[in-house]
Amino acid sequence: MSKRRPEKQMHKPVGRNKKDVWYKLDLSATVYPTLQRRDFSSVYRLSVKLKESVDPALLQQALDLTLPRFPTYKVAIRKGLFWRYLEPNTRPGPFVQEDIKNPCMPMHFKSNNRYLIRVYYYDCRISLEAHHCLGDGTGGMCLLQTLTAVYLGLLGHEITPSGFVLKIDEEPDPGELEDAYMRYATAKVKPPRPAEKTYRIRGTKEPFYTLNIVDGIMSVSEVMKVAKQYGATITEYLNAVLLYALLQKQAGEFHLKYKPVRIAMPVNLRRFFPSKTLRNFITMVYPSIDPRLGEYRFEEIVTHVHNFMRYYINEKFLCGDITTNAATKHNFLIRVVPLFVKDLVVRTFYTKVQDKNSSAGLTNMGALKVPEDMKAYIDRFDIYMGQPFSSRTNCAIISFEDILTVNFASSIVESDVERHFFRKLVQDGVHVKIESNRSCQI
Amino acid sequence: MSYCVNCGVELEASLRECPLCHTPVINPMEAGKDIPPSPYPTDKGQVEEVKRKDLGILLSVVLTATAVTSLLLNFLVFSHSFWSLQVIGICICLFVFTFPMVYYRKTPLSFSLLADGVAVAVYLYMIAYLTPSTAWFWQLGLPIVILVILNTEVFTFLARLVPFSLLSGALCLFIEIPLFCMALELMIRRMMLHPIRLTWSAVVLTVCVIIDVALVTILVKKRLRNEVRRRLHF
Repeated sequence: MSKRRPEKQMHKPVGRNKKDVWYKLDLSATVYPTLQRRDFSSVYRLSVKLKESVDPALLQQALDLTLPRFPTYKVAIRKGLFWRYLEPNTRPGPFVQEDIKNPCMPMHFKSNNRYLIRVYYYDCRISLEAHHCLGDGTGGMCLLQTLTAVYLGLLGHEITPSGFVLKIDEEPDPGELEDAYMRYATAKVKPPRPAEKTYRIRGTKEPFYTLNIVDGIMSVSEVMKVAKQYGATITEYLNAVLLYALLQKQAGEFHLKYKPVRIAMPVNLRRFFPSKTLRNFITMVYPSIDPRLGEYRFEEIVTHVHNFMRYYINEKFLCGDITTNAATKHNFLIRVVPLFVKDLVVRTFYTKVQDKNSSAGLTNMGALKVPEDMKAYIDRFDIYMGQPFSSRTNCAIISFEDILTVNFASSIVESDVERHFFRKLVQDGVHVKIESNRSCQI
Repeated sequence: MSYCVNCGVELEASLRECPLCHTPVINPMEAGKDIPPSPYPTDKGQVEEVKRKDLGILLSVVLTATAVTSLLLNFLVFSHSFWSLQVIGICICLFVFTFPMVYYRKTPLSFSLLADGVAVAVYLYMIAYLTPSTAWFWQLGLPIVILVILNTEVFTFLARLVPFSLLSGALCLFIEIPLFCMALELMIRRMMLHPIRLTWSAVVLTVCVIIDVALVTILVKKRLRNEVRRRLHF
């Protein structure tokens, strides 16, 4: 019998009065602020492209109405002696601003009136950037969709809240604020994390304040048809294509010896462990191919990824993974160590081990659902994993209706991985339309 | 509608070259037509700088006030000795230590360390000036400061120059520690007019040599290195 902690015990905030409310950082969120540098923050971006131009004044009004419904997003981050924490932010803002060429730029904790989200508009697009310490893509998507629904409501369109769109006049459910990791960290063993050095992309670093974006837009049905031919799902197929692209990139460079190619892929744990949380609730899996074992054909890569996903992405393995991660927060000795020591250790571990553990990042938000009456106003969604910690490329996938968008974001000049990736899709018969800020007309 | 002749992908209408392979777009069908605007913004954003000016001003004011008031107190009230030099020295040290964090964050690390060393040396000299003899400063205080700064500079230089792992860092540290201890003992013995030979630092040297040999073995043997990494990963 698993000893799951009852949901009631786990919900935060801490503090009796509204004034005294504060939130502990969730398990994942404790890591992200530690990695903060002058030129790096763990910021992700979610965008929705509407069918008509965005009115900034109405968008600001919508944001002011929406944000109080998301108390863990209307916060500032503070340092304690042992841990960081979030406290409600009553300063003016956040204010919507015109979009910029270099999204996901670093988010300093003391700037922007201490808000950890930014909302941008550009033509028909509304973009939300959030620091990962507030929540994952699912939480961010809830905020973005609710904001869009309120904005459309202010324009006079009637939107019925459902799915990701929450009712803004309701009190937040305590389950939305919980650190769900701790509730499900119940495995009896702590499986070790993979810690092998993998292939790292060698690239020329772009100057500070540059994020190169390449978006590939394609049809969901077309990609699904091709994926089915290989006997895989869309995620498995695109994962295999990215592994293939990385292998091609490595093969095209001079190496004394090859290294395994591995992708860091976040898995949404809500699919396996019921939770309403809007905070982080993801864990990483690492599908990989080792070219030292021999030359892999693409079909073999797909089969390998397919089997890997079947084997590792299930309740039991993921529970073990959560338990391993949660063990650090349960350990008394770790808890009593002052924050600056924890920061030093975590940063060193991340730079020396975790970051070298994967060659690229890939996330798939899957097929997005929006309320029926909102569909008519939305063209497509985009998701960017944000600036990579080291010189590599991050890939994010999202689909809405029949539009599937693959968004690459990188801080290096070379776009070899993106080229190999999209060329493979074209070779497989998928029609790909490319948009990019790399060489846009000024 | 243009396609990249190399990659086979359709290119968004505003793109003048393929972002994947940089092949220029030459489409005779679209010659003379206006280029539509890019779907991306063209203005770059700037991160709002966090103002540390206030902290810098506060720190400067507090340190200056402390130094000046103690100087005045020294001259006007307790004028039996020049004791305020010690307080002024501490203020100078604090200012130099906090300079890279508060005033100018781009200060090179090697320069900051050097400045820290100089500040400590100046402070020690101020103390020495107040004591009957300055011999301890020249024979022990200053050489120790120089040694510590030299060791730290070498360590940080190596950390930046070569791929630095926990093991190679430990190796560097365990080479520097016995060298420092040996130099320290020799200096103390010279000052105390004892015969110049190694005693306690020889023990440190022996222990560190054993650790160094073990670390070199681990670094050279990949299997051992991986085993250590696996067992010590946290």
